[in-house]
Amino acid sequence: MSERFQQGSLSARYGRPFVKLVLALTLFFLAFPVVMTFVSSFASDWFGVFPTGFVTTANWEDVIVGTGVGADVAVGSSLVYSTGLALGGVVINLIVGVPIAYAVARYDFWGRDWVNVFAILPLAPGIILGVAFLRTYPDLSTSGIALIIGYSLLKAPYMVMAVQSSFQSMDLQQIEESARSLGASWPRTFLTVIVPNAKTGIIAGSIISWTLAAAEFNFSYIVYSRGTPPLAIFLFNNITNASFLNAAAAVSVFFLLIALVTIALQIIGNRGAVRRI
Amino acid sequence: MSEVSLENVTKRFDSTVAVDDVSIDIDDGEVMGIVGPSGCGKTTALRLVAGFETPTDGAIRYDGEDVTHVPPENRNVGLVFQSYALFNNMSVLKNVTFGPKMHGVSKRERRERAEELLELLDIEELADRDPKTLSGGQQQRVGLARALAIEPHILLLDEPMTGLDAKLKQNLRQELGQLLEDLGITTLYVTHDQEQAMSMCDRIAVMNEGRLEQIGTPAEIYEQPANEFVAGFIGTANLLEGTIRDGTLSLGFGEVDAPETTVEEGDVTVLVRPDEIPVGDGPLDVEVTNLFYQGEHVQATAELPDGRELTLRLDRSRKTVGTGDTLSIDIDPSSVHVIQSTE
Repeated sequence: MSERFQQGSLSARYGRPFVKLVLALTLFFLAFPVVMTFVSSFASDWFGVFPTGFVTTANWEDVIVGTGVGADVAVGSSLVYSTGLALGGVVINLIVGVPIAYAVARYDFWGRDWVNVFAILPLAPGIILGVAFLRTYPDLSTSGIALIIGYSLLKAPYMVMAVQSSFQSMDLQQIEESARSLGASWPRTFLTVIVPNAKTGIIAGSIISWTLAAAEFNFSYIVYSRGTPPLAIFLFNNITNASFLNAAAAVSVFFLLIALVTIALQIIGNRGAVRRI
Repeated sequence: MSEVSLENVTKRFDSTVAVDDVSIDIDDGEVMGIVGPSGCGKTTALRLVAGFETPTDGAIRYDGEDVTHVPPENRNVGLVFQSYALFNNMSVLKNVTFGPKMHGVSKRERRERAEELLELLDIEELADRDPKTLSGGQQQRVGLARALAIEPHILLLDEPMTGLDAKLKQNLRQELGQLLEDLGITTLYVTHDQEQAMSMCDRIAVMNEGRLEQIGTPAEIYEQPANEFVAGFIGTANLLEGTIRDGTLSLGFGEVDAPETTVEEGDVTVLVRPDEIPVGDGPLDVEVTNLFYQGEHVQATAELPDGRELTLRLDRSRKTVGTGDTLSIDIDPSSVHVIQSTE
């Protein structure tokens, strides 16, 4: 056997460890700031390389109680408000986005490609859409409805793409026709067979579009005028008006929220995958 | 009265004619097969019976009643697809009870019915399983149980065994054939596999390019094909051109008595099945050009004295035959079937 076969090529010997190393470094690069932010939110000082003065809850108290140092309002009200707004956007996306994803994946109709393009391309940036909304519907900006509609429009592509990917992995035509031959009407087929079968995509789409909507800054900044600030504005105020450690606590609230929502939706998704009759 | 019938049904998709003036009557309790190559219109015909397509012309009748425009959910048809299309968000038992539930059957009765069918198909232990975790054969049984659970007017099977391995296919073919016979359920079986159709169906409709070429029992289709297409599609066929004059069939390389049933005179195409050509003793010598070992027998291609090719079926005792060897064959007039006049 030649020496080349005995030793293997360079890529065969070092390729896999190299890819692993690159992945680990990338992951560390991305995760390190998040971890450091969370950890520093429990520190009293950060003047050197690493934060010091552990463990204090003062930063969290400032954010949670709303001492006036940062956003001048407690995180709870902003959090609840933004959760509701983002949820509203997700609900609209579910009602509109899932049928669009289904239609594009299942049927061949005139203009299908255009519908697909409009549904999955984030056409207008948040700042542009915000200005357009403010000029067109000046009275809506204080009610929160503009924020809900804007969030749903901005984040719809993520929902449509995630759900469409689920639909494309199924034999939609045969599943639909099986259900209908068994006596189910089209709406019943859609709601009791098609949608539950796309559960994974719907959950993924909901998590992504909710998370991005809850943290949408550009659109919120343009459209929001008064009252309880959306979370993105709250975080911005904390970051700009308070110490970094206060801002770290405010940002950590958001990290925790995302983690909790993701875990909750995963549990809901896994539960009842197969239910007994 | 025919249970289900297609009456002069035509289905066009833009300029394409998928089904062209097809009429098929399926009797009560009969297993009717539709066979043909890909794109021949057999699946469209099944979808027309199910109600997923509406004929451009013609009518679909159940027990004489016109159901052409009745939506699929109101036709009470059991459908089993090649992909089985099981509902992965439900357990096996729930898949089977789905149809009865849609038909308003009480919870107790639909559970009883489902358990009975799962037992009949020997998959009762799978009741609580997730369909995704089942093998192809198990999924096929679940799909069948689900279709039968609504006690359908007609059972429609669309290539239900295509994805299975050969051995499983053979076992399931026997089981399914027996089951359909026992249940006496009217069935339309669509397949491109002529062997499956021959072994499972009471009658077979052969389709090609949207047209119905022939309809008859498997034996009629095999032994008396209506034309060259049917002869070539069902089984292996030797199609030879010849001439009939005064009761004698001349095949170029020799002459035999014309079949008694033949009325044609002049140029004809005749069919001789390989299994009807005796090999080893006969007046005609052919040279073997190719051999294909097929386990139970050997299929040979041989060259006739006039250069035309003939397919022969050799039993395994002749496995020593090699390419280039000469074999003696006979063509018995009783095995010659005149299928089409070439004039």
